[in-house]
Amino acid sequence: MTSGAGIYFDGMTSARHDVAVVLSPDALQIAGGDGRWLAAWTYDELEEMAAPANVLRLGRRGNAVLERLEIFDAEFAAAVVARAVNIDRTGTRQRRQRGSVIGWSVAATASLLLVAWFGVPALAARIAPLLPVAVDRKLGDAVDIQMRGMLDPRNSGTAFECGSADSEKAGRTALDKIVRRLEASAALPETLRTFVVRRTEANAMALPGGQVYVFRGLIDKADTADEVAGVIAHEIGHVAHRDGTKAVLQAGGLSFLFGMLLGDFVGGGAVVIAAKTVLQSSYSREAEAAADAYGAALMNRAGGNVHALATMLGKIGGATEPGMTILLDHPETKARVAAINSVAGAKSTTPFLDAKEWAALKRICAG
Amino acid sequence: MTDAGATQIGGVRFLGNRRAYWRLLVRGALLLMVTLGIYRFWLATDVRRYLWANTEIAGETLEYTGTPLELLLGFLVAVAILVPVYAGFFLAALDLGSIGQMSGLIAFLALGVLGQYAVYRARRYRLTRTIYRGLRFHQDGSAWLYALRASLWWLATFLTLGLAYPFQIASLERFKMRHTYYGDLAGRFDGAGWRLFLRGLPMWIAVVAPLAFAAGAFIEVVDWQALADAAAAGGDDVMSKIEGSNPAIGGVVVFAMLMGSTALFLAAVLYPAFQALMLRWWSSGLRFGDIEMRSTLRTRQVYGAYMRFLGYSILFCIIAAIFAVVALVAMGLLTGGDKTGVGGEIAATAILLGGYVIVALGFSTVYRATALLSLWQLGMESLQLSGLSALDQVKASGRASSAVGEGLADALNVGGY
Repeated sequence: MTSGAGIYFDGMTSARHDVAVVLSPDALQIAGGDGRWLAAWTYDELEEMAAPANVLRLGRRGNAVLERLEIFDAEFAAAVVARAVNIDRTGTRQRRQRGSVIGWSVAATASLLLVAWFGVPALAARIAPLLPVAVDRKLGDAVDIQMRGMLDPRNSGTAFECGSADSEKAGRTALDKIVRRLEASAALPETLRTFVVRRTEANAMALPGGQVYVFRGLIDKADTADEVAGVIAHEIGHVAHRDGTKAVLQAGGLSFLFGMLLGDFVGGGAVVIAAKTVLQSSYSREAEAAADAYGAALMNRAGGNVHALATMLGKIGGATEPGMTILLDHPETKARVAAINSVAGAKSTTPFLDAKEWAALKRICAG
Repeated sequence: MTDAGATQIGGVRFLGNRRAYWRLLVRGALLLMVTLGIYRFWLATDVRRYLWANTEIAGETLEYTGTPLELLLGFLVAVAILVPVYAGFFLAALDLGSIGQMSGLIAFLALGVLGQYAVYRARRYRLTRTIYRGLRFHQDGSAWLYALRASLWWLATFLTLGLAYPFQIASLERFKMRHTYYGDLAGRFDGAGWRLFLRGLPMWIAVVAPLAFAAGAFIEVVDWQALADAAAAGGDDVMSKIEGSNPAIGGVVVFAMLMGSTALFLAAVLYPAFQALMLRWWSSGLRFGDIEMRSTLRTRQVYGAYMRFLGYSILFCIIAAIFAVVALVAMGLLTGGDKTGVGGEIAATAILLGGYVIVALGFSTVYRATALLSLWQLGMESLQLSGLSALDQVKASGRASSAVGEGLADALNVGGY
């Protein structure tokens, strides 16, 4: 079949031309109703455009003018396609492109996950020590405002911190004694600012910039001053390793990796959140284990009882931790206690406080 | 056929085969999962090619000439623009002082305006990739001006609890259509906001009235002074103190919850009627030169479209439930017993997550293949065009625009079709 009917648009006006199409040996020729030649397209520049299933719509490759030729007769359309080298109606080219999209997406995902697993914590660990201490401090002040908003919902201000009322001053002095003895052995790049705050949970936390919060509930649960000192030593570990700043860098890195580049489809948000949670929990578990090791070593250097930290962890860690290990931000308590207890204690230890001072520390939040 | 008399009035037909569309969407959903979303540029292009090509206006079908690679490039440009913006807001949030405190709000507003900018630029991309009878559509006008206008209107709509919405749509549509061209044929929008307002008002009242009742009951019954005192006193048991200060508050809360769910139910039931009203009003206001459009869309047709969606959703739920049981048994085998390794946990999490993604993508696919496709088809087939003789002398004009707007819209989640 070398000739047939078609509809032609010249791309200059919207006028519709009923045309006769002739397939000559080297070009597709288009003749108007009056027999005048309207156009001649070579076969290698023919391109198939989007059209309904029963229509072959042709355009010219790389042509800024939107000339179109539509052929409705299936047999004649097949004859045109057979001559056009760049038209592929079997979908092979499309399949190949789709295949390379899938392949490279999978490769990109794998590389993303590897960078998130190994690269992000490694980078954060290298960058955090390079930042000036002032950056930590500024970051810590910002986190402090947020933390206080969460922990101290009544905004009671200074009364949230224990140790300022007259009946509490002796407790504050005892706390300072512990912190000074630990700090002397720690050689930190920044000065510690340690507070006991009125929260009933048995917990403690370190913010970027050397701020350490000890919750009142922890002091209530402790039986000796060394147990409190052990927990503070663990928190000093976080300060020395600059874990607060590292966590901010890690979170920023992960948000960038996952949030920007991937996951913008229905249901993708959940994948991103899950991946971030699992990764951040794993970073955090490593940081906790490192802080435990640091805390134990520091207790030894300061001449304290290294096993008091393990005892305290056993008390506050709880017997069972339900849920999945990959989502925990702390290693399992049993493993932590065992790791700390495997550190050999100093031969002779001196308690951090005498009985009277310890009693005063117990009453630091009495006012 | 160039005889003008015969093409004076014309209709729109939809030629698409539903099964082909299902196939396209299901394959797209699977590939979205495998490629973690990268395939969305290919899927969006396939969907548009299908919808455009199967829409026949006065005997000629539309053609979509956009390509997935253009969309991907537009997205990459948007990433390049947005990364420093996000980083800036992140740093500002770390700063102390009032700017740091306000940075969340400022980011929300700035990204909102940028989103409207993206909406306008994305519309320009889609128009310039739409070919009809060998000529392209195009759009001029400043996207920033549009973004400013749209943002102010959104604020007005927010402040009037939605009452300004019809006037917002009318004003923005006038702006968009005033800058829209088919070749050298200028578009305009003749829909009047107050018409939509009057027709939509009963629906607005039906949804807002229960909420107003609830708010009224609160103001009437609650002793605010006592409530404020109780809240200020704080302590461990704030709720019981609030209850002590206001014995009637329990009843009011129950009443408010009842009214709230009534409003929600009415909103869901009336939504198709509202959509039919909007679609009819909007398409009846579209003009290109002497070509005028009129829509005869019927409300019950739109309800039919949503019933289809409901039916397919129920079917999908049943299938998903069967698969969920199988997956749960598999998870039980993986995590059951005492020796649960990290590998088992990761596998279980992956199954849960995969299940969630499959269900979410499945619903979105069912929605696109039923409700959205039917709305496209109904909206198009209910159109009557007059003055079509103008189609014989339109001249080419306008050039293809970049896909940056689409990329921004994609990155900011304000995309359309």
